[in-house]
Amino acid sequence: MKQRDEISERDHPKRKWTSRSIGSSFQHGIFYFLVRTGGQQAAYFLLYIVVFYYALFSLNARKKTRYYLSHRFGSRTRFEKFKDTYLMILGFGKVLVDRAIVGILGPEKMNVRFQDREKLLELLDKNQGLILMFSHSGCWQVAMSSMGLINVPVNMLLHHEEGDVDRHYFEHTGQPAPYKVIDPRGYLGGVLEMINVLQEGEILCVMGDRVMGSDSNSVSVDFLGESALFPYSAFKLASATGVPVVVLFSYKTGPAAYEMEVADIIYAPENIGRKGENYRPYVTRFVQVLEKFTRDHPYQFFNFYDMWE
Amino acid sequence: MSMNEKLKNIIIEDLNLEDITPKEIIDDDPLFGEGLGLDSLDAVELVVLVQKHFGVEIKTMEEARPAFQSIKSLADYIEERLAA
Repeated sequence: MKQRDEISERDHPKRKWTSRSIGSSFQHGIFYFLVRTGGQQAAYFLLYIVVFYYALFSLNARKKTRYYLSHRFGSRTRFEKFKDTYLMILGFGKVLVDRAIVGILGPEKMNVRFQDREKLLELLDKNQGLILMFSHSGCWQVAMSSMGLINVPVNMLLHHEEGDVDRHYFEHTGQPAPYKVIDPRGYLGGVLEMINVLQEGEILCVMGDRVMGSDSNSVSVDFLGESALFPYSAFKLASATGVPVVVLFSYKTGPAAYEMEVADIIYAPENIGRKGENYRPYVTRFVQVLEKFTRDHPYQFFNFYDMWE
Repeated sequence: MSMNEKLKNIIIEDLNLEDITPKEIIDDDPLFGEGLGLDSLDAVELVVLVQKHFGVEIKTMEEARPAFQSIKSLADYIEERLAA
């Protein structure tokens, strides 16, 4: 156990971000109750009020949204700042409600259009694994719910911590997870499991915009006008196992509609070496498509910590 | 060349370890953290290079944990698997 703890601690020092939920378990429960009894409309009705309150009175909520919004929009008037904060929190709240709808009322309640599905199937037909790179944009869980249509096991690198009270969509029904969770706090950051699933031709889902381990596993790349740290671990895995990294974005297009798109397919060649610098071109390519996403969908990138620090 | 020496050469070459020679690596020193100073991401390369050079797969944590203690334990693991 000692070795595990030492490696875990070294690779996971104090993170700048947390996966802890906004709101208490009770408050989330109210929304789940509304979804069950009144559907999306009832839950959205309460959401508009709660978000208005948060945007107006919660200094903490305003502060947490400003990190991203100030980089995305630059100088803004007071009213514009309020509007930006309101729309960003509202967008995030809707995603949480929609996620609960998929879990409680079923995936058929959400229309997910995946225009690039054939591209993904073509890659999977080659019987090689692939890395699906998500980011904190749109609703990856709604996207995951439509992954059931793809007949290949899906694995998710997921950090779940105490205080994370909002449920994953499958937890509402008490069903087992439709994907296998790989914990990055496990022995050697879960890399053994990740290599295994990729070599078995399975899908590994990772977040491309969040540093899971230490800062040393990241490179600094310009994002929205200033340097920010992004992880390169996925590209190292891709290089070592010869699988592509498929950048997948999901975004809300209507009250009960989401779109998924393959924004890029990135191949990291073999033998790039162990230095993070060597992976910068591939990380930069991901960051460029992420930046384009924030231009197209400014209120659907849900970053609530200072990644530029 | 012993398995220990072979492993040291391969690790230095495949992981592009600079400023270290095979002679400077002590057989019983830990691979990760103090010792050789590898991190969890280097484990990716380690698993792949063992597979590539020796045809030995390390699939589970139960296998990896004792094998990845040191050069000696990894060499022993590979030899055991090759002999099996």
